[in-house]
Amino acid sequence: MKATADLAFLRAVGVFAELDGAYLQALAERLRPRTLKRGEVLFREGDGGRELYVVRAGTMLVSKPVLGHVEQVLARLGPGELIGDISLFDGAPRSATVTAESDAEVYCLDHENLQLLTEASPRAAAAFFFQLGKTFSARLRESGRLVAEVTRWGLEATGLDVESTGRH
Amino acid sequence: MARDSRLELLIRGGPDGFEVREVSSASAYLQFRPRRVPDHEWELAEVARGEKGHGTFVLRNCRTDRYLYLSEQERFMWQQMDGQASLQDIATSYLLRFESLDLEVIPALIGKLQGADLLTLRLASRLRELLARHPASRGARPLELALRGLERLTLASHDVHERFVRAYGLGGYLLFGVPSVTVLVVLAAFGLVAARELAREAHVVAVPLARHPILALLGGKALVLATMAAHQIVHGLACVHYGRRVRAFGFTLLHGFLPSFFVDVTDMFMASRRARVVAAIAGPLVHLALGALFFLIAFYLPGGFLQAFVAASATLQLYALLFSLYPFCFMEMDGYHILVDLLGMPTLARDSWRFVRFRLGRRLRQRQPLSRTESIWVGYVGLSFVSVAIFVIATVAWLVGVIAP
Repeated sequence: MKATADLAFLRAVGVFAELDGAYLQALAERLRPRTLKRGEVLFREGDGGRELYVVRAGTMLVSKPVLGHVEQVLARLGPGELIGDISLFDGAPRSATVTAESDAEVYCLDHENLQLLTEASPRAAAAFFFQLGKTFSARLRESGRLVAEVTRWGLEATGLDVESTGRH
Repeated sequence: MARDSRLELLIRGGPDGFEVREVSSASAYLQFRPRRVPDHEWELAEVARGEKGHGTFVLRNCRTDRYLYLSEQERFMWQQMDGQASLQDIATSYLLRFESLDLEVIPALIGKLQGADLLTLRLASRLRELLARHPASRGARPLELALRGLERLTLASHDVHERFVRAYGLGGYLLFGVPSVTVLVVLAAFGLVAARELAREAHVVAVPLARHPILALLGGKALVLATMAAHQIVHGLACVHYGRRVRAFGFTLLHGFLPSFFVDVTDMFMASRRARVVAAIAGPLVHLALGALFFLIAFYLPGGFLQAFVAASATLQLYALLFSLYPFCFMEMDGYHILVDLLGMPTLARDSWRFVRFRLGRRLRQRQPLSRTESIWVGYVGLSFVSVAIFVIATVAWLVGVIAP
């Protein structure tokens, strides 16, 4: 029963939406579930690891340290959203810290299993990576928006009169 | 209007392990604690006491030698900016002290202080510089490069104070006393008489100049430049006379094209109003003294090129005197500085223009009477236009007289 429920969930996840039933079944068998308590850290910025996570339940906070114990929240991810997709590709240390904002459950797909799956069905792999590309594009747009928002915040918070400065 | 920007911050620690807090830019701004530069890096002096007994102050950044005018309210806020008081605290203190608060006052002062490097906000200042550039403009860049190149032609010495002190001790002090004023008055009187006599025969006196126009032009330019140097030196000596520091002396192309000497006597801002007026008027009086002297010399010289040249130079000195003492038209010459000091309105040109441009029309429509200060502002702008009109009319009339006598 659990596998069926999981399959229904996986079909609703954007990156897996185009995969056929057999492939999705094979993927579901390779996913490892992990539960997290509120406040538990999935991984920290700088950690090693090439696993891809899919949020099954709860919300996860993606943040970057800015000062002492203070981190800036970059994103809040809910069910069906991916975590760790950047390190999956470049193999570099984690670019941000991910913390469970509430009790949460995630599915983990490690790099070896992903490779096995992509080798088994190049067509399914193409569909998966196409969807992943769309996720990256959306994240990139969001990053641009966030940069602009942070700049606006900085200008407003310091009272910097940029418009007058430009006229000097 | 867009809502104020918000940042989400995750703060670790506490009983729950972490906390997510949303911080709006507006609340951050209220908690912003401006910190002025260390005490030894700034100096504050009262320069004028205007209407209703309100003071005007000048704040000097000792490190960069930049000066800012502050109103009494701005000085009050400056004194609060110790890095401990937030803007909210400062606004509250301001309200208690002055019983009203214009919400634009605090950001305006902060912008002013940041611009003068008087707040310890180095990063913000760099950001300002970065954002102030206009890389997209095609014409602006070559123009800016050309102007910057010309401005680099400035030759200046920043180690001149001791030399001015020595020159003052060697006789410069004689310029600042009753005897020198008496000599100047007598010289001016004799010069006036000589000028009147020469003017009667101007058509004869001036003729030899036309025979050597290039020599007359170049000689005249060189002499004017030399007397401009003397003008600036006397400003510097006045600065020493009043115990302030001469920061620099040199040669530059004013606005990128006008050869000129300059002396940096901005330290006079820290002296008394009387001292500033005397120092400002001392320079132009060089032209009065030289003009009178030249007229006297020309009067006694036999007719010919030399007499014509000296007489023409005397006339140029009088023009230089008038130009230096001209206080209007937003040109901040010596005359302007004298005027603002006498009126006790250090930002006269800027305030006048703003008032006439943005508020005068509404005041007239509402038939509200103008205060003394507002009348001065209107008078300043009005006289600026009138003086320009007179200059244009006089020049046209002169040209008409020359072309079709």
